[in-house]
Amino acid sequence: MSVSIAATGTRLEAVAVLTGWGHGIGALPADAGKAAAGRAVIPLGRPTLEGERFRRATRECLLGVAAVDALLRESNISRDAVKGSATALVYVTGGAYGASNRAFVVAESVGRASAVHFPYTAPSAMAGEVAIEFGLTGPYGILIGGAAATIDALWQATRLLAGGRCERALVLAVETFEECVDLYARGRWLVRRPLVEAAACALLVPGALHARYDAPRAPSALESLVRVRAGETLACAPLIALALARDGGGPASIAITGEWRGRRAGIQWQ
Amino acid sequence: MPGAWHLRAEPVTLVAAGAVTPLGADLDAFWSGLVTGSDGISMIERFPVDDLRVGRGGEIKKLRPLPQGRRAGCRATQILLAAAEDLLARAVVSAAPERVAVVLGTALGGVEQLERALAPGGRARHAVGALYDSPAHALARRLGARGPVLTVGTACAAGATALGAGADLLRADAADAVIAGGYDSLCRFVMRGFDALRSLTRERVRPFDRRRSGLLLGEAAAVVLMTRDGATSGPTLGRLLGHATASDGSHIAAPDPNGRGLEFAVRAALHEAALTAADVDFVSAHGTGTPLNDRIEAEVLRRTLGRRASEIPVNSIKAGLGHTMGAAAALEAIMCLLASREGVVPPTLGLDDPDPACDLDHVIGSPRATRPRISLSTSLGFGGCNAALVLEAPAP
Repeated sequence: MSVSIAATGTRLEAVAVLTGWGHGIGALPADAGKAAAGRAVIPLGRPTLEGERFRRATRECLLGVAAVDALLRESNISRDAVKGSATALVYVTGGAYGASNRAFVVAESVGRASAVHFPYTAPSAMAGEVAIEFGLTGPYGILIGGAAATIDALWQATRLLAGGRCERALVLAVETFEECVDLYARGRWLVRRPLVEAAACALLVPGALHARYDAPRAPSALESLVRVRAGETLACAPLIALALARDGGGPASIAITGEWRGRRAGIQWQ
Repeated sequence: MPGAWHLRAEPVTLVAAGAVTPLGADLDAFWSGLVTGSDGISMIERFPVDDLRVGRGGEIKKLRPLPQGRRAGCRATQILLAAAEDLLARAVVSAAPERVAVVLGTALGGVEQLERALAPGGRARHAVGALYDSPAHALARRLGARGPVLTVGTACAAGATALGAGADLLRADAADAVIAGGYDSLCRFVMRGFDALRSLTRERVRPFDRRRSGLLLGEAAAVVLMTRDGATSGPTLGRLLGHATASDGSHIAAPDPNGRGLEFAVRAALHEAALTAADVDFVSAHGTGTPLNDRIEAEVLRRTLGRRASEIPVNSIKAGLGHTMGAAAALEAIMCLLASREGVVPPTLGLDDPDPACDLDHVIGSPRATRPRISLSTSLGFGGCNAALVLEAPAP
């Protein structure tokens, strides 16, 4: 049985993608599996961001900041335009908290766990760093899960916009794998290869497109395309799909899907 | 605050609840413990705490076995499934499986499994179980739910955010029944973390008290069955009229000194409920017992409730439970509706000498006989997370 609902009036204003393959979707290979050449993880380096505050921040936090920064720069949107309570932030990750969690467990086991690092073990730290950096004080959501959770996040963003709870919504996803590659290797039935680190952000604004949130059984063409070209990017995959759809300049209607733990969710703008 | 809301959100019915807390194995034990002033704080026994500054917390000493010898994975999943069993003993989920959603808030997920995964002999199921959304999927499997399964990670505000997200799924017709709530378990990971932060008190937890010196952690799970308004016949717990979240954009681990995010959330939740401060009869405060949180929260309540702030009963239930993190806001929402049903508001344990900086109408010493119709519940969490819920008692 398909679940479908209608929310109204949103538009995809911009989307930015950083992956282990490089900046933007132009960096994606035609076939991620072949391009990986046997590598389990395609890493994304720690962004070099200025500011004392970032000295302690984790790589995944900085990747979130870098993705939002890229979105604003590439779309010629000033930081002031998104600052304040009129901008919602919905953050999604499947496992980017894994690195900080592991580091804390290891430190704890040798009696070196510290107050500095503990707050960064929370998934909300990643969204928190982004909110601090860009002065975002509006509606706030954090979802944990893979690609299906990002579809949920996009739907939540459309609900916030349709309900007038915000004037714009950022949907941000970050995934890192390198520090936990051995653990992901054990959960091979859950995640495919290659694991490609990524950070991606979409900006939604009020518009004329109607969004439908549903539960399709089959993957959309874009879901399959992202899988082939990007590899396993978990929660980032639907945002990469949005970037590919925009780049293709195809029909105004965009349908994307995402699957995680056997559940597939979809959202369609038309 | 953005301009006028376009949509007045429809109320959502909270049909029934289930809970497992340090006060006992079910919802009845939770409520009676709150009213009688039971203290669920004890020395933690399940894992070593000898090396910590503080080794006390709200530990659940005994969990009922799951029916039919079912086995749960990690401790967090065990607690969550036990709360769900308590709910299922009180209500029937009658929607089609694909129309049943699960929305759960957590601060830690199944992080204890990570410790096992990294230990010698760690197995694949430990690695997968360490993903924070594993317990929610375990509950969905237990329920046979095939609708949306959402894990909300807004730290200690997650239980409230989950109820709000569940309400939105119903309002949007994405589900006919939602099991929503929150959970978290105590483990070395979180005890060591808060110990390192020096947030834990060696004394008793004293929310809003002049002598308050910190919090204690607890473990719990609380879930509610939610349906669209009017979809259920028979008695219900009440309704969720409005919810809102906001980020502080201020600090990773401390609340905004001016409480901007919490203020935004409170005002937005009241706005969504189409109510004002004049309508609020009771406030369930986050009330952790830390010097900063309680002062900021009291200031926000005074600003948002105005002159009525001194007339509206306020309580915090964390002193007797510990701060149950992802479960806290869900428990507090349930407590609000039970207070309405039973006509009594539980007191704030540990509060003897109210801090003038937290000047509110605190419920001190003993339960207060009052039957709130409209309750406001506030929550804060790491990462600058804030959430507010507006709840309504069922019609008499």
